[in-house]
Amino acid sequence: MPDIVKRIAAVSFLLLLILVAAGLLGLSLGSSQSLPTVLEYFLSGGEKDPMLANIIWRIRLPRVILAALAGSVLSLGGLVFQALLRNPLAEPYILGISGGSAIGAILGILMGLARFPGVCLCAFAGSLLTLLLVVVMGSGRAALKKDSLLLSGVMINAFCSSVITFLLSLSQDSRIHNILFWLMGDLSLPDLKQSGVLALLVFPCFVLIFCLSHIMNLLLSGREMARTMGVNTGAVMLVLLICTSLMVSATVSYCGLLGFVGLVMPHLLRMILGPDHRVLVPACILGGGAYMILCDILARTLPEQGEMPTGVITAIIGAPLFIFLLRRSKK
Amino acid sequence: MYQKNQLLLPDIGLTMNMKKKFSKQIFLLPLLFLFAAESFAGFREMQDQAGRTVQVPDNPQRVVALAPSVTEIIFALEQEKRLAGVTRFSDYPPRAQQWPKVGSYIQLDLEKIVALKPDLCIAVKDGNPIEVVSRLEDFGIPVYAVNPVNLQTVMEAIRNIGNLLRADAQAQFLSAQMEKRMNQIKKLTAEIPHKPGVFFQIGINPIVAVGKDSFLHELILTAGGRNLSEGDIPYPRFSQEQVLALSPEIIIITSMARGKIFQQVKKDWEKWPDMPAVKNGRIHIVDSDVLDRPGPRMVEGLEYLFRLFHPKAAGK
Repeated sequence: MPDIVKRIAAVSFLLLLILVAAGLLGLSLGSSQSLPTVLEYFLSGGEKDPMLANIIWRIRLPRVILAALAGSVLSLGGLVFQALLRNPLAEPYILGISGGSAIGAILGILMGLARFPGVCLCAFAGSLLTLLLVVVMGSGRAALKKDSLLLSGVMINAFCSSVITFLLSLSQDSRIHNILFWLMGDLSLPDLKQSGVLALLVFPCFVLIFCLSHIMNLLLSGREMARTMGVNTGAVMLVLLICTSLMVSATVSYCGLLGFVGLVMPHLLRMILGPDHRVLVPACILGGGAYMILCDILARTLPEQGEMPTGVITAIIGAPLFIFLLRRSKK
Repeated sequence: MYQKNQLLLPDIGLTMNMKKKFSKQIFLLPLLFLFAAESFAGFREMQDQAGRTVQVPDNPQRVVALAPSVTEIIFALEQEKRLAGVTRFSDYPPRAQQWPKVGSYIQLDLEKIVALKPDLCIAVKDGNPIEVVSRLEDFGIPVYAVNPVNLQTVMEAIRNIGNLLRADAQAQFLSAQMEKRMNQIKKLTAEIPHKPGVFFQIGINPIVAVGKDSFLHELILTAGGRNLSEGDIPYPRFSQEQVLALSPEIIIITSMARGKIFQQVKKDWEKWPDMPAVKNGRIHIVDSDVLDRPGPRMVEGLEYLFRLFHPKAAGK
């Protein structure tokens, strides 16, 4: 055992360094102040300019934290789904779980509920419903299971987007612009409190999933196998699924739809670190956070005027990678 | 307060000492007030058009206009020297484009606004996201909201901004001019018995028109037309056959889409030669900025509509 502990510690430390570096970069880059100005601010101890302090600590910091949380949640969500469904292409977005949360969240927003807890709860309900649908639809014929699960996910995702369009075209709401922007994965405008609430919601999930990571290893080698090892597979799967849906739907209600993150990170890390989930869980949390911070930096700095939704960046990077992985797994 | 101090301090000598100091302070109090008044003189309380009470600087020097209409008003009042930033589509007057941009008015870039160190932001109630407004206020930047929803409130907004920017005279003059031109149109239309049925199309695909709760509705009526799409929904959607059933005498297309696309839409309508608007060649395009932006140019838009609706009366 000490070997694995050492390995977890080493991987976590390394990825933590990357996360912190990405975070510092996220604090330093943005739409207004150039990198040298910010570096000067940090080097001088940073007391003299309240405007710069506001921008760095009250605009960029909450945003960096939110991006890190969203990245961690979605990567970890992907990892858990891939292990539970024993399908390397499973991911909250592709399975339609994110879409289901979004429907719930939009209903919540249109009903005029507060972001927390109203919209979050609606999103959670939506994600649980879609999860149920995906699992029921995908578990019909055992032989086709691997593909049919994915197919049903794709269908449900398509269904969700049409329901979203339906809801939006029904409503004559002036907030529609905001909703559309949020749907595309928007990380702008959080304050520290919002980021903090999300952190409080998802950290317990992280811990719980980490505690169950060795069981995920067993599940990956087959449910029968796990059962012979004395694991109550049904209960564990239920806990993991609910836990994942909870944190994904909380993230969706704050950030909208950020696609493909749950695919890119787990695959990348699995390629580098191997299949042991005890290592992969903390690696996904830290690495996913860093990845999303970098995507968000691109979203903030690429357009010359204004910002683009972060979900656009994650999809532009993620979709080609998805195709690449699909082809690789076929070979 | 004093009592409390006494209780907190066990040493009587010290309290006595404090008492002395305190009385001295009382003596100094008026002076202190003077000083305070001096330092707070930079601010005053104002009620904005959204009904909020806002602490605004007495003489704002760095104003960020959060919508193109606000930018137009500030330029019309010749107060652009106070302007620190504008939004993305602020293109009138053309030189407004030289000012630093802070994102579009629906998608404001908070960081850029804060970086401009404004002492005042002027927002529009419908359009600017409330989240950005409250974040700006968190940073101690006062946000004054205007809410121009019809001709009357546009002129009110102009006067309010004039008051804000110490340009009362210009604002009075400008709004009086607007009022005069508006009344002129009203007088002319009052004498015309026939009010043509107008279909005012603001969206192309889907077809979107204007309901009763929009200021375009008011403009159509003021310019002497009937709004065929009046209803409770501010911006209702229509199908082609619904429009045909209304048999509009005039179709006005205002759009973000100009030029070629307008020709296309016009051609689409011309497939129905029985429609009065097509028969009489009364399909027109208008510059959406003159009509959509609740600013000083709205009177120009009104006069333009009047000329389209009543070319004979306008010719006189």
